[in-house]
Amino acid sequence: MSADLLVQASGLGKSYPRVFRRSDRLRALLGLLAGRQTGEVTPVLQDIDLSVLRGQSLGLIGDNGAGKSTLLKLLTGVLTPSQGSVRVNGRIGALLELGAGFHPEYSGRDNIAMAAALQGFSADELAARLSDIIAFADIGHYIDEPVKHYSSGMVVRLGFAIVAATRPDLLITDEVLAVGDESFQKKCVRWMEDYLAQGGTLILVSHSMYHIQKLCRQALWLRQGRMQACGDVYEVTQAYLAYHERKSAGEGPAARDLDAVRGLEFHVRGMRVNGEEAETLTPVDHGAPLTVEATIASRDGRVPVVNIGIARADGTPVYGVSTDMDGVQPAPLADGDYRIVLHFPALPLLPASYTIRVHPLDTEGMRLFDTLERLLTVRGRSSESGLVRLAHTWEHAAPLVRPRRE
Amino acid sequence: MMPALAARLPTLGLALQLARRELRNRYLGSFSGGAWALLQPLVQLAVYAFVFGYVFRARLPGADAPGYVPFLVVALWPWTAFAEALSRATTAIPDNASLIGKVALPRVALVIAPVLASFTIHGAGFIGLLLVLLLAGAGISPAGLLLMLPALLLLFLFALGLALLLSALQVFVRDIAPALPQLLMLWMFLSPVFYARSAMPEFVQPWFDLNPMTGVVEYLRQVLLGMPPPGLRALACSLLAVALALWLGGFAFRRLQRHFEDFL
Repeated sequence: MSADLLVQASGLGKSYPRVFRRSDRLRALLGLLAGRQTGEVTPVLQDIDLSVLRGQSLGLIGDNGAGKSTLLKLLTGVLTPSQGSVRVNGRIGALLELGAGFHPEYSGRDNIAMAAALQGFSADELAARLSDIIAFADIGHYIDEPVKHYSSGMVVRLGFAIVAATRPDLLITDEVLAVGDESFQKKCVRWMEDYLAQGGTLILVSHSMYHIQKLCRQALWLRQGRMQACGDVYEVTQAYLAYHERKSAGEGPAARDLDAVRGLEFHVRGMRVNGEEAETLTPVDHGAPLTVEATIASRDGRVPVVNIGIARADGTPVYGVSTDMDGVQPAPLADGDYRIVLHFPALPLLPASYTIRVHPLDTEGMRLFDTLERLLTVRGRSSESGLVRLAHTWEHAAPLVRPRRE
Repeated sequence: MMPALAARLPTLGLALQLARRELRNRYLGSFSGGAWALLQPLVQLAVYAFVFGYVFRARLPGADAPGYVPFLVVALWPWTAFAEALSRATTAIPDNASLIGKVALPRVALVIAPVLASFTIHGAGFIGLLLVLLLAGAGISPAGLLLMLPALLLLFLFALGLALLLSALQVFVRDIAPALPQLLMLWMFLSPVFYARSAMPEFVQPWFDLNPMTGVVEYLRQVLLGMPPPGLRALACSLLAVALALWLGGFAFRRLQRHFEDFL
């Protein structure tokens, strides 16, 4: 089993020393020479535990400044960890920043030689691969010109060609591939699929959840330098998207002023979803049944109209329905309250986070009184886009054959 | 010991690659290309021959001493290699800051490379000059061409040790690089490069033993020109200084290198 373990990090952290005054540098130098740790530090990454198995690609997600690039640099060995340790059992190819590691004054050929030396290739191995690299990069006579004359697309081509020729055990990449032109991007994607099909492993940083879900089986969500979530790619990406939707929708449910609400003509006495009363509900699976139960208190004994709605976490309404629309009304209970139960036999909501709302309206269905909300997460392994799965069938369709090369 | 050496091999390969690149780059833009590497010392030799042999008529004490030009060449070229190696290597880490923050590489290779490059270029010039002097009948001993190699190796190791130390310190305290040329100039004039120890007042002469350069320079003059040997004390001082520089440089570099990126 341990042979399959490609990357292992435990308690990994990175912090930068705070250096403000001139004397700080000298003090830091003397401290380090004496074998002490530096004094005041700014942590950028803390307590990262991570293991990646061979062939199990990992997606890295998080806001800007969450520490994604720092983590990649720690994994590739560009940075040395301040705490903890990281081990990689294999050769790493990294495509991080644009043109990183290329010297602008030297020709493409020189930079290939340099990159090969950095990867630990001997001169013979380099000579054997050089023509492959130049052919893959396909930048014509520019290969003998200094890299400073290259367009950004050419720099990426050269970088990718070197990585492709060295066939690393682990490929670490940032979103740099988007720079190449159409035909080169296709070449890259084909190479990447080939690489993954042959058991290659990828660590990918992307803001596109679509790419992450397509290429990775696991995901790690970094937030302010710490692990927010790690695990199955669908669960982590959905949680991340929901977090963003809530963030753009502003604060969570507004605090409900119970005393003020009690004075109203109608108010929600209780609300249960799938028999639960908690404000954040246990996640349900896509396609599972959902039952919403609302108990309404009526001050004057009149029958309320009950409206139940579902919205995405960012506030986008998905569906709303009232009792009067369907020609029913809540039935009275012994203590004078009214209760109604709404049942969805198979929830078509796509995996994401949602808010379920209950509103009592007056008997005429005109005035809205109270609002009670519950947060619901829908789980599922689906990369469909949108809000709900619409019933559909394909016609004039042939079965899908995935291209597989030996 | 062997696995440790094998693990170091890629580092050495990388250092060689970096050094080769630096050498090529230095002559890349020039018209004459690589020929310049050998032409330059010859031109410099002609200048020294003119200035010291004709203008100043520098003379050495001692009846059967060689001419001033071979006397100077034998000490000045190794010194130039040493001084240039040191001043280039000291800024090697900040100069390659863009590489350090982006590529995983053994950082020591960045320091080895300029030392290698300087010794290669000035070593080649030195050998070329010695051959010219040998053919011109300036009294160069042919056997000395082989016997000088241990001294050059020692000087290389000395430069390497000091380079490791200074380059690591330079990352933290940026005052080293600007002060270095002045210190090197002072050191050169305190060493018997332009003059012989015997030209100094009697009471100063024993103190030269403490300068690690004295042993190297006087050994070179002994094997190449047949001048008096440096004496055991001077040689011991040189060896000790080289060992100390290598140990100290290795220690400081190992301790500090993992923190370079934090202070660049």
